[in-house]
Amino acid sequence: MRSVALFGALAALLALPDVLAVKSHDFKTCSQSGFCRRGRALAARAQEAQSSWESPYRVEPSSISVSPENSTIKASVKSSLYPEIKFGLELRIHEDGVVRVLLDEVDGLRKRYDEAASWALVSEPKLSKSIRWAVGKKELRAAFGKKNDIEIIVNYEPLRVRLRRGGEDQIVLNGRGLLHMEHFRSQTSKETVEEVASDENGEGQEVLQTENVRAWFEGDSEDAYWEEKFSTWTDSKPKGPESLSLDISFPNHGTVYGIPQHATNLSLPSTTGDSPSYSDPFRLYNTDVFEYLASSPMSLYGSIPVMHAHSAENTVGVFNAVGSETWIDISYPTKKSTHTHWISESGIMDVFLLPGPTPEEIFAQYARLTGTTALPAHWSLGYHQCRWNYVSSDDVRTVQKRFDEEDMPVDVFWLDIEYAQDHKYFIWDHKTFPDPVEMTNDVAAAGRKMVVIVDPHLKRTSDYPVYQEASDLDILVKPKSGEGEYEGWCWSGSSSWIDHFDPASWDWWISKFTTTKIDTGFSWTESTEDVHIWNDMNEPSIFNGPEITMPKDSIHYGGWEHRDVHNINGMLFHNNTAQAVRVRSDIPKRPFVLTRSFYAGSQRVGAMWTGDNLGTWDHMAVGIKMVLANGIAGMAFAGSDVGGFFGNPEPEMLVRWYQVGIFSPFFRAHAHIDTKRREPFLLEEPYKSIIRDILRLRYSMLPIWYTAFRENSVTGMPIVRPHYVMFPQDTAGFNIDDQFFVGSSGILVKPVTEKEKTEATVYLPEDQVYYDYFTQHAYRGSSEGKHVTVAAELHQVPVFIRGGSILPTRERPRRSSPLMKLDPFTLRVALSKAGTARGELYLDDGITYSHQQGELVWREFVAEQPQKKMTRISSKDLASQNPAKAVDGVALTAYDPKNAFAKEIEEVRVEKIVVLGLSSKPSAVKLESGADLKWEFVPGVAASDKKEGTASVLSIKDPKVLATADWAIVIS
Amino acid sequence: MLWLLLLLPLQALGAAEKTLGVPPDSISKYVPSKSNTWTCLDGSKEIPWDYVNDDACDCADGSDEPGTGACPNQPFYCKNEGHVGSFIPSSRVKDGLCEPNCCDGSDERPGVCNNVCQEVGQVYRKKVEEENKIRKTGSKIRSTYIAYAHKEKKRLEGVIETSAAEIAIQEKEVVRLRDIAERSESLSAAALELKQQSPLYISLITHANALKSLQREHKKYLQREKELSNILDALRTGYNPNYQDMAVLEAVRGWEEISGLPHINDVGKDSVSDEEAGVQEDTASEVAETKEDVDDEMWSAEELEKDLDDLLNSDYVTLLLEHDEYVQSVPEGSVLFDIASYLPDSIAPQYEEFKDTLLSWLVNLGIIKGETPSSTDTSRSRQALTDAENRLNSIKKEKEDAENDLKEIFNIHGYGLEGQWKKLDGTCLRTEVGDYTYEVCLFGEAKQIPNKGGSTFSLGKFASWNPSPDVKPGDDTYYGKQIYNRGTRCWNGPERNVVLLLSCGTENTLNSVVELEKCEYQFTGTTPALCRPLDSSEGKNGQNANAGKDEL
Repeated sequence: MRSVALFGALAALLALPDVLAVKSHDFKTCSQSGFCRRGRALAARAQEAQSSWESPYRVEPSSISVSPENSTIKASVKSSLYPEIKFGLELRIHEDGVVRVLLDEVDGLRKRYDEAASWALVSEPKLSKSIRWAVGKKELRAAFGKKNDIEIIVNYEPLRVRLRRGGEDQIVLNGRGLLHMEHFRSQTSKETVEEVASDENGEGQEVLQTENVRAWFEGDSEDAYWEEKFSTWTDSKPKGPESLSLDISFPNHGTVYGIPQHATNLSLPSTTGDSPSYSDPFRLYNTDVFEYLASSPMSLYGSIPVMHAHSAENTVGVFNAVGSETWIDISYPTKKSTHTHWISESGIMDVFLLPGPTPEEIFAQYARLTGTTALPAHWSLGYHQCRWNYVSSDDVRTVQKRFDEEDMPVDVFWLDIEYAQDHKYFIWDHKTFPDPVEMTNDVAAAGRKMVVIVDPHLKRTSDYPVYQEASDLDILVKPKSGEGEYEGWCWSGSSSWIDHFDPASWDWWISKFTTTKIDTGFSWTESTEDVHIWNDMNEPSIFNGPEITMPKDSIHYGGWEHRDVHNINGMLFHNNTAQAVRVRSDIPKRPFVLTRSFYAGSQRVGAMWTGDNLGTWDHMAVGIKMVLANGIAGMAFAGSDVGGFFGNPEPEMLVRWYQVGIFSPFFRAHAHIDTKRREPFLLEEPYKSIIRDILRLRYSMLPIWYTAFRENSVTGMPIVRPHYVMFPQDTAGFNIDDQFFVGSSGILVKPVTEKEKTEATVYLPEDQVYYDYFTQHAYRGSSEGKHVTVAAELHQVPVFIRGGSILPTRERPRRSSPLMKLDPFTLRVALSKAGTARGELYLDDGITYSHQQGELVWREFVAEQPQKKMTRISSKDLASQNPAKAVDGVALTAYDPKNAFAKEIEEVRVEKIVVLGLSSKPSAVKLESGADLKWEFVPGVAASDKKEGTASVLSIKDPKVLATADWAIVIS
Repeated sequence: MLWLLLLLPLQALGAAEKTLGVPPDSISKYVPSKSNTWTCLDGSKEIPWDYVNDDACDCADGSDEPGTGACPNQPFYCKNEGHVGSFIPSSRVKDGLCEPNCCDGSDERPGVCNNVCQEVGQVYRKKVEEENKIRKTGSKIRSTYIAYAHKEKKRLEGVIETSAAEIAIQEKEVVRLRDIAERSESLSAAALELKQQSPLYISLITHANALKSLQREHKKYLQREKELSNILDALRTGYNPNYQDMAVLEAVRGWEEISGLPHINDVGKDSVSDEEAGVQEDTASEVAETKEDVDDEMWSAEELEKDLDDLLNSDYVTLLLEHDEYVQSVPEGSVLFDIASYLPDSIAPQYEEFKDTLLSWLVNLGIIKGETPSSTDTSRSRQALTDAENRLNSIKKEKEDAENDLKEIFNIHGYGLEGQWKKLDGTCLRTEVGDYTYEVCLFGEAKQIPNKGGSTFSLGKFASWNPSPDVKPGDDTYYGKQIYNRGTRCWNGPERNVVLLLSCGTENTLNSVVELEKCEYQFTGTTPALCRPLDSSEGKNGQNANAGKDEL
């Protein structure tokens, strides 16, 4: 079997054109990474030893101490391998039932990096005050939760941490005895272990020591303890071995999700055990992988070490706050259980156990830890037009003109690196961009914005003030010597990198974005408040570095090595840039800063995209899965480059990709410098008109998207939601990742990502009616789940409205989203089988933070049957009912429906209401206040029917009810 | 006119609102039926008259909302009194922005936009006037181009006529010379053939062939090397680091080392690098010096380059014959010729006979030169023939070229139906952008010439006018675009090409160059050849609805 599989893999590799293949040899496999090799070897020894294997780590019962407020417990831990080494264990139980488990070496030779969580967490979590720890002879335990049904148990010998619910283990740490914290040691023997790069299994290492009492656990050799080579690079590893191996088991969960970013299925495939899907573990190590594979556990640009374990019974989660390179093996010993093994290069153990028990609660728990996506600027939900590169200010103006001539909406024009003279970011190349401010103003005249790239590599020339100032301030990352400036090679040639871990860099960096002159040095006077920022290459990408990134022994602020903070690095740059854009105006405005690299917590800062994808159908399809995976790990404002970064997609593919793009939270088309231009106005008919309609569909749905963003910003619920989030009990939906829901709106989408398709099969997960968004055809789901086949010609994207939903849209095409501000709404009332429906609409100025002062409109629309043969549709104020839950970042105590923003849009009305699925022609449609309304009824299938077919449609013409006011309409 | 308004019934007064956004030629369609209904313009639906322009879309074709923007894709007509009427798409109606095309502000809610049609109209008229002025001047120049084309046509016809006559004469001359050459050659052919059996001659020819082959190979490799260094130079300066391809980086560094160039990233960086670069240059010149150190008798590279061709162009047959003469001169004083003086008179006559026989033998064997008609004469007559043939061919070519030019001169796909472009054939326009000078020689080649040294790239040769199938050959959009293609291939990219966009102007100029896609250039320029004379109907500020549509 194995050789057949190998042959298949080879054949697949050969089938790839050379130019479109990832440079796998630029990146390590587990067998080429010393600590991963050691971690996997440990797991292999445990596997071999089976039941005789026992973890050497144990709690010293005499050392246990409970904090006065009872939520925190501390204890000493020792390993029988090294009895002289001390470890400290700490457990903290948070108010919401999240359990934080910390393990660190105490009084060691050096200090392990322990600040990862401090960067990830939004604030110090509140600890529970009602915990009663029971300290026993063999274990200590505490029960908590609303029903006191959650238990945390710490077994002493061996050390084991178990989170239980309903008397069953849900999460077990060190259940398989793979916990191993390599303590700091001195280099006694200078033996150099030869690199055996070609050896895939890590076997064949020379056995250098004959007798070793720890060999049963640690193995015989000091494999890559003190130095490690990869290709032409040598990692000096001055601190020696310091990795952390930890097994996390989910004995009652057969599906796991999360740990983005990887180009894989949402439901994570196995990497060990019987016939694993991938041979290497999932890797978290932010890297700029050129032309990455569409299915691989290889690391990509961002890393969020959070995992959901899911079953029909409940959902739990773990957040492993580690910032160093981490490999994760996943296996499914049974259909209903999961083993994971996390191998990190450095850092303390800092694991948060999220008890769930529903996906919704996992999102809330994770959001309380790391925050939510800040409510973005409304315009940033529009269409972004990017290319490497629009070559001049006139080029930008021409592109804008062409969009307007073709009446295609677009909100943002982007400039990639070529605007900058010699890639010195901020410094315009005046040969091609002689008038950047005037250009920006011309774009802004139509309500639009510019996004301009600012990358983290600073060209090392004294005539570049940004570099020179950073150099003078001594805030650049240092080489392994700890002295001077690390120098690497990137777009700008010889470059250095700001150390954003250094607090001295923060205010300085923020000041660079000021649009007026400042006394303290350079500021970006050649920009305006309509210029927002794109942070690319912040993994960091370094062309001549190991694995295209920074050497791990480079030195950051506080003397920490790059290896300790690598995965966090990109987030800090992103964060400081966003702060800069926020505060550059007198009234702070919501910044839009796109990042490629990210970490847990990056969602608070801004949007991400899935990097340099390929213009292939595979990449189009996996982009959807990646956006879903990022969403469930908190990074909700996500999207993939429409059209694919590399290559020249044929018109059919481009159309399909726009259909995918309009259903991504972040919607941008981008293209590589070597590609042909492919702006939508350049296409021939019918493609051009199809894409115009697609763009307009996105714009018409902006109220739905913005409402979903509000919800995400408060609750952490993803913007695009996979099936298991919506229907946690439906096992048939656990592996579905090619169709999804938009927020709580009830919109279900199944984009077509295959060539020459004319039909699509859609899974309906419940016994409910689903209406085709365009044809009003009513499809019937079933409680066991049901597949229906729908038309999906090139101009059709399968979109459904779940019965029971009310959708607010704005149907008037505009050039850009700010110009829709005073446009009226259309409501689609999609009645459920029971004849009811519900929907929400959230609005605010979309630019400033005035919403945090209550300047917002948050409405609820309800359709109900107060009596037989009557349907009542009403609009209610949600903000007044739930002021504390209206917006993120502040709990409003009161809400004034007549706030300044509401007044600005007080004349905005509902111009049309469409009711789907009424059982018969109404006799009258009236405002509850009395006035008769004009309406039309087209008979058809009723929501309560069992039949399929076009639903009945009641169109109420211009009821003249206001978007900001309470009203009710009665259909009898 | 006011009195007419006063006479209208009250209901029709509201019609002004009902016809907001309706162009003058469609106003008659916006009237209610007797039952006060109205039918959508596509006939799909009958709606109450109240529904027209009520800010809610009722008709599938959107025709019920010409003035509100409630229906998508509905043109909105702005009267723009004082200027020219104009359409805007419904997406711009009531979007809060004042449209330049709708200077009367009728597309926005009252109070949003002022009526600025007076000012806009004034500016517009001034602009049109200026454009017309340019066109007027330009068209005068254009007419000289046309006159030139007619003159050129006459000249070409003259050329054709003269060359036809010359051809006739020259053809006769060729026939005469061929006859002479052939006759002398037939006489000498057999003898020459014999001489050519000489091992020396055969070896010489073999050497010559070998040398020729070597030279061919050498040139091939030189060419290859040149192309490779061009590629590598282009790679070095223009390679795309986004590929982050260390193999490319190593190739660049290897090339820099071989050719003694500083590393591209270090160029102009600081003094240290310059020193390094200097060191590298020294090494490079050393290498060159070592190469120069060759054997005295051997040819230098320079000689190979310059003199080898001459050597190989030697007429070996002539050489062979000259060699005979040389060989013959030796026996002059040799025993064979003087032997008679040593012989007794009695056998002398026999000897003379024998000598003749012997000599004819020797001659036949090619050992000594006989007194056959001179081979030098043969090659001379052959040469005369060749010269005559060449002359004939060049006259023929001249004629053919003239005929081709004549064909193109009034060709719609060539120099235009009026021949207005002929004058510009070969006219070169230049502009400097960044570190390069861009040049296009109309109907010839476009080039990118680096200002700071380096190789010039061809951006393509003239291929066609606007090739779009939507464009009618011969009209302004057809002649407004020229395509130059098949230029030097880009590293990792396509062959360079140029789209030259031309518009009417009083001078032939190249105004801008942009590389919108990699290796695809867009040039813009002006030329009087595109300035058509003004029609009498044009430029008189016609209140034509479309005239102002895309202006301003």
